[in-house]
Amino acid sequence: MVTYLQVIISGLLLGGVYALLAGGLTLIFGVMRVINLAHGEFLMLGAYASYYLFMRLGLNPIVSLLLTLPLMFLIGWVAQRFLVTRVVRAPLLTSLLLTYGVSLALTGGAQALFTNDFRSVPFMSGAVNVGELALSIPRLVACGIALVLTAAAQYFLVRTRWGKALRATSQSADVALACGIDIDRARTLAFAIAVALAGAAGTLTSFLYTVYPEMGRTFMLKAFAVIVLGGMGSFPGAFLGALALGVIESTAGYLTTTQVAEAVIYVTLLGMLLLRPQGFFGLKEA
Amino acid sequence: MNTRSRRSILAGLPASIGLAGLALSACGGSEGSSAAPAAGGAPAAGAAPKGAPVKIGASVSTTGSNGKTGQYQVEAYQLWAEQINTRGGLLGRPVEMVILDDQSDPTVGTKLYEKLINEDKVDLVLGPYSSGVTQAVSTVTEKYKYPLLSAGASASDIWKRNYKYVFGVYSVAESYFYGVIDLAKKSGYQTIAIVNEDTVFPKATAAGTAEYARKQGMRIVFQEQYPTKVTDLSSLITKVKAAKPEVLVGGSYQPDSVLLTRQAKELDLNVKMLGFSVGAAMPEFGEGLGKDADFVFGPSMWEPSLKTKGNTEFFDTYKKKWNREPDYHSATGFAGGQILEAAVGKAKSLDREKIREALATLEIETVLPGKYKVDDTGTQTAHIPVVIQWQGKDKPVIGPDSMANGKPKLPMPEWKARA
Amino acid sequence: MAGPLIADQRAAARGQRIYAMLLAVTAGVIMVIPAFGSNYTKTFVMQGLMSCALAGSWNLISGFTGYVSFGHAAFFGIGSYAAGIAIVHGGIPAPLAIAIAGAAAAAVGLTFGYPALRLRGPYFAVGMLGVAEAIRVAVTVAEPVTGGGKGLVLPPEDVLDAAYYAMLAVVTTTVLVTYRVATLPVGLRLLAIREDEVAAEMNGIQVTRLKLGAFAVSALFAGLAGGIYAWQISYIDPGTVFAGSLTVRAIAMTMLGGQGTVFGPVVGSILLSGISEALWTRFPFIHTALSGVLIVAIVLFLPGGITQFLQNRGWIPRSRRL
Repeated sequence: MVTYLQVIISGLLLGGVYALLAGGLTLIFGVMRVINLAHGEFLMLGAYASYYLFMRLGLNPIVSLLLTLPLMFLIGWVAQRFLVTRVVRAPLLTSLLLTYGVSLALTGGAQALFTNDFRSVPFMSGAVNVGELALSIPRLVACGIALVLTAAAQYFLVRTRWGKALRATSQSADVALACGIDIDRARTLAFAIAVALAGAAGTLTSFLYTVYPEMGRTFMLKAFAVIVLGGMGSFPGAFLGALALGVIESTAGYLTTTQVAEAVIYVTLLGMLLLRPQGFFGLKEA
Repeated sequence: MNTRSRRSILAGLPASIGLAGLALSACGGSEGSSAAPAAGGAPAAGAAPKGAPVKIGASVSTTGSNGKTGQYQVEAYQLWAEQINTRGGLLGRPVEMVILDDQSDPTVGTKLYEKLINEDKVDLVLGPYSSGVTQAVSTVTEKYKYPLLSAGASASDIWKRNYKYVFGVYSVAESYFYGVIDLAKKSGYQTIAIVNEDTVFPKATAAGTAEYARKQGMRIVFQEQYPTKVTDLSSLITKVKAAKPEVLVGGSYQPDSVLLTRQAKELDLNVKMLGFSVGAAMPEFGEGLGKDADFVFGPSMWEPSLKTKGNTEFFDTYKKKWNREPDYHSATGFAGGQILEAAVGKAKSLDREKIREALATLEIETVLPGKYKVDDTGTQTAHIPVVIQWQGKDKPVIGPDSMANGKPKLPMPEWKARA
Repeated sequence: MAGPLIADQRAAARGQRIYAMLLAVTAGVIMVIPAFGSNYTKTFVMQGLMSCALAGSWNLISGFTGYVSFGHAAFFGIGSYAAGIAIVHGGIPAPLAIAIAGAAAAAVGLTFGYPALRLRGPYFAVGMLGVAEAIRVAVTVAEPVTGGGKGLVLPPEDVLDAAYYAMLAVVTTTVLVTYRVATLPVGLRLLAIREDEVAAEMNGIQVTRLKLGAFAVSALFAGLAGGIYAWQISYIDPGTVFAGSLTVRAIAMTMLGGQGTVFGPVVGSILLSGISEALWTRFPFIHTALSGVLIVAIVLFLPGGITQFLQNRGWIPRSRRL
């Protein structure tokens, strides 16, 4: 029993890691119907930023969030302004290919700039024991940060003027435009927030995982599964989807093998798409 | 696609690489007496090589999933080429390296060796990095009867196909953990858990470890594989924990070694010995994990502290040239060059049949521990992998005894008891 | 996207002649390469043909119907493994094994296509990504048969020339089938699905059957290419034959040439193979980044592909038969 509890807790904590990346991915999809294949590379950039801030300035990754968040926001803003905005209205394929190109360019650029060396930030490790349960300290912290950032973003989306503009654009760009909403700016804002969240996810992975140019791909497939579970386009859905996926992954891994668990994830993704394509909370237009 | 537009990453070096000796004379003094086998046919050290260059081709992964380790191998090839030119070249002719990048893709690898052999018309080749690429590429080199020194691959399957032209530079993957198992046995540990990434090399490592552990009378209490690019090993570790092994070894690369260590600590999995195949021996393992790297064992094909022939010079010149310390993948690459040099010396020509003969019978010392010597299949038999253990900032060699320069610290204390 | 569907007949006929000539010249050059070219040239061209087969087969489903398959590599991988297993475990001669590869891929295409093609747009794209990954994992886990992550070693044979022509045959067949599809009413129906599936269905088009048929044929060609690949390279592993980059390359090539056209994938694969070869040879350390930039440039400046670009300039006539 304790073991099962342990497995489920590990799964929830894992979900916390996926949440930020998936949240941004689903936000972009919701607002623009663009699947951002370069999202994992933004995570990678965030991870490198935190790594270098730690190694050069000794900044602890959580403090460095104060720098990486605005930096990544800016990068997202620029990327949207100069690239993504040009393909928003184009067919799906166009934006897929564009973001794939961006992803390749960023990976290749990172290889040239940062080399292929494996980096990692030796920061925070170990567990707190509650009875027989071991709770990972870094993952608890990561999960907490993910929760705070998701809540902040959700607050912004629900409560603020620009957040409402963003959601309106997501529901119907044309109607939003007719209502006088600057949908271009709303989209830019959405993309910048999403990239900032991916960067924050990168910061968290910098002390949980290994930092290298191709690290983004490791998380992207999981992020896809998450947004399908939560409903493509639903921001709170992504958070719940992430937790659900974490639990599915670790439970399946415990009951079978870590390898089979991977297959279970993709089968879940397919099953969800076929049975309930809008996910837990997704847009109703599959 | 002609040779005029040759694509070497050495394009930046002086075209007449023979002249490079001048620029490098600073370290030339020690070169003469270094690891160069005083092969017959080679002129006295220091004489500038003359004549048409000997072209030696290799394609190594410098991008893609193996880009990190492949880079070490490329740097070693280039260092070797530079050094051989300062000590008179190969058969008195300058060596020119043609190095390409296969992007960690076997498909690209085969194409590039076709290119090296047919388009660049290289005289000799050196091996690529990774067992997967080598597996595919060796079929091409076999077809053209080019001897291939496998300086970056060690899965034993490569030598199970009755190929005549592929030779191992270092021990097969299956034997990586022999030293660790021996130590476990000596310390009286009975139970072992083995986990590995499900790709060519880690799989071979795990299989060999399991077989050897069984032979040594240890009990395998848990064995499981995990996929590449794994993001969570908590369920696996939970299962390991339930199996209560005394020893845990991972057939793993760097990212998963780090993840395994971190999650072992997070889930409070305590074993008496912990070892990883590739990750642990790399300096980055210690950098990335800090104190948590302590007590971890790893097999290494080479270590800077070893007293092998010419090792100090190799280490110093490498560090000087590339501004970073060599890794064991650099050393195997460098050894590949040394062995090729010796084989050409023995064959006294660039005749690839004669070189193949030489490689099959040669027995020499390189910078690697042990010797170079292969059996009938081309499998390396005389190289001796060493075992290192992280102890603070150092990773002394703690086995085998003949090469040890430190003592193993056992058992690994419980995580809670560590600072 | 591909211009007016009903084009001026005379211009179309002229265009057809130009293209037929160009194609004949290209095919002729490719036919004789083995006689003159080095083995490297052959390997390079053959791998280009392989990309072309993948692009062409992807175009059959995605270019025409607009269903963006992001898991096309799955069929290539299935084909590779089907042929590999047939040869290694069954001792089946290569030509038959390659036929099995195609059949296996088509069967898998039908099995997964039936449910998956109910999904639209991004849901289908992500779903196919899931299919490809699930199959890759399944192949990895089925270790006794597939060798798992260790890969599968086929008996090495020097079959470069044979594989070269086999790959050429697959490409030629793909182009011919695409041409037939484009010129027969069935092509119009597929394009109608792309433009507006509901309207197409209301007009009496048997949408499901057509989609499924196109999907299976598309999988068949990708599977054949995979089978030939496995036979020639003699070593396959899941990471290589199920690589997502295979899919994306096929997509990029088709887009560069012009999706939903007959010659788009051919033109695109020739150009992109050539360009990437030129890139990595000149800039070995940043070729990944450069190919990324190149793809971005294609999307931004040639969104309709070269064919449409040339048509818009009036340099070649508009015709959906191209």
